[in-house]
Amino acid sequence: MTKILVFVQTDENGAIKASEEIVSYCVNNFQSAEINAAAIVQHEQLEAVRNSLSNAGLNNLYLLINDSLFSTEIYSGILSEFLQENGHDVFLISATPLGRELAPRIASRLDIGLTADCTEIGIDENNMLLATRPTYGGKLMATILSKTFPQFATVRPGALKYTKCHPEKNTNIIEKYPEIDSSKLLSEVISFQKKNVQNTDWTTSDIIIAGGRGLGSKENFELIYKLCELTGAKPAASRCAVELGWAEPSIQVGQTGFSVSPKLYIAFGISGAMQHLVGIENADRIIAVNTDKNAPIMQSSDIAVTADAVETLKTLISDS
Amino acid sequence: MDKNFKIIVFVKQVPDTDDIKWTENNTIQREGLDSVMNPYDLSALQYAVEIKKYRKKNAKIIVATMGPPQAKDVLKEALALGADEAYLLSDKKFSGADTLATAYTLSQFVKTIHPDFDMIVCGQQAVDGDTAQTPSSMAEKLGIAQITSCKSIEELADEYITAIKDTRDFVSTIKAKLPVLITIDAQGTYLQPRINDYIRAQDTEISMLSASEICADTAKTGFSGSPTYVKRAYRAMKERKHTEAGENYIQLIKEEMDRAKSCEGMND
Repeated sequence: MTKILVFVQTDENGAIKASEEIVSYCVNNFQSAEINAAAIVQHEQLEAVRNSLSNAGLNNLYLLINDSLFSTEIYSGILSEFLQENGHDVFLISATPLGRELAPRIASRLDIGLTADCTEIGIDENNMLLATRPTYGGKLMATILSKTFPQFATVRPGALKYTKCHPEKNTNIIEKYPEIDSSKLLSEVISFQKKNVQNTDWTTSDIIIAGGRGLGSKENFELIYKLCELTGAKPAASRCAVELGWAEPSIQVGQTGFSVSPKLYIAFGISGAMQHLVGIENADRIIAVNTDKNAPIMQSSDIAVTADAVETLKTLISDS
Repeated sequence: MDKNFKIIVFVKQVPDTDDIKWTENNTIQREGLDSVMNPYDLSALQYAVEIKKYRKKNAKIIVATMGPPQAKDVLKEALALGADEAYLLSDKKFSGADTLATAYTLSQFVKTIHPDFDMIVCGQQAVDGDTAQTPSSMAEKLGIAQITSCKSIEELADEYITAIKDTRDFVSTIKAKLPVLITIDAQGTYLQPRINDYIRAQDTEISMLSASEICADTAKTGFSGSPTYVKRAYRAMKERKHTEAGENYIQLIKEEMDRAKSCEGMND
């Protein structure tokens, strides 16, 4: 039986969304596997983390209790030791900034392979992890295997679909207090401040309305917010629009931003660079509104509307 | 005389990803692809030049890359932009390396040629792979602390550094013992070499180093030292139906929005 371990990142509300996605995907798609999770938890978060994961369909939940602020050095030490003591076939971490700096240190210490920022995962008939990721700026997808164990990958937040339903299981909860020799530490985290823009719930909302450079100005980009307000959709932006200062990076969609999986994605004035398109691949339907009939996004949409994006937005707003 | 403050900057030659052409089999056509210095590495080099200019005037900037002989071009560029010494790690046994094998090879260079280094500066990631794994992996191999997404340095003393780390999710202040590895996110670069810099770069010899010269175990380098391999590569994006909307597109968009809200027929 394949043994999968997910490192779950946590905050005061319990497991973070990106980690829940991996757990949910694994328990629903790899039903013959043993699926375990490990979290490094501060005392005060213990209750929240236990609550958020005790009914997630896991076999074992390991709560590694440690009160230090996030430190790559401490966390990679704790997890490397944990993996050495508890052998697993597959090890997954969400590719948040924290996960992406933690994972290579663990892989390097254990001398194992690591695949970065996957957008799809699978297990083949030989129990090998198939980790698929975009590369060359999103132009090419590569499925990567590893010859070493545990087979190790980081998974892009938003890339795996989260499902609330999962098989019922009695989860064993195991609490541990990993020891750290602080005299050997090379670094010290003096302060740690979470940014509060990190609510990524919008990436899975029913409708996402996104704007790009074709809107022409920051004022016109405001129409995106306006239409969202009227319809209950969530706003998003292309990399161009963010770089031009029309929108915040927290709503950027694409290879360097967020992957989204709405039921409907409407792109206004977005040309559809490959690095944008990889971020919307999981949308059920895509409507593109662009004056350029030959823009790449038109070819990659379900419905292509050749029209002025700003005028279309204005009409939709006045009709809503 | 005081020892130089040694800064090692690793650079990578990458294909120009804005200029990718496809073969009939949906693979990337590698021949004739232009190569450039990874833009993140240019930011890293600029950071090192600034440290030398403003904080450690006795700094020596050492630039190194692993690659085929033509990777000399990025080293020449780095020299013209302010690096003092350049090394090309080039060996058939280095080719086909994944991030683990690359990190091992680079760490062997550091251990054998510049074990008395004070700081390593790397670009946050390379635009061809976007993995961002090699720097952290190398820091672990060297047994040193790392500050990735380093935004600014608060203090750079002889024994330690205090710096601000700024990521999409959090900001933290880290105090780490030297030697340390820091990585730099892409930022505006202004370095412009002058004619004299080009002449100096042309006159500076690039040291070529093979596996044996950095005491590398070739079972851990290149293809044989790489646990990961690409099983399949294919062009991104699934096919969509792609219908063109007619005159009544406003109505069509509204209907699609209503349908998305009501959940009907969206279960495929």
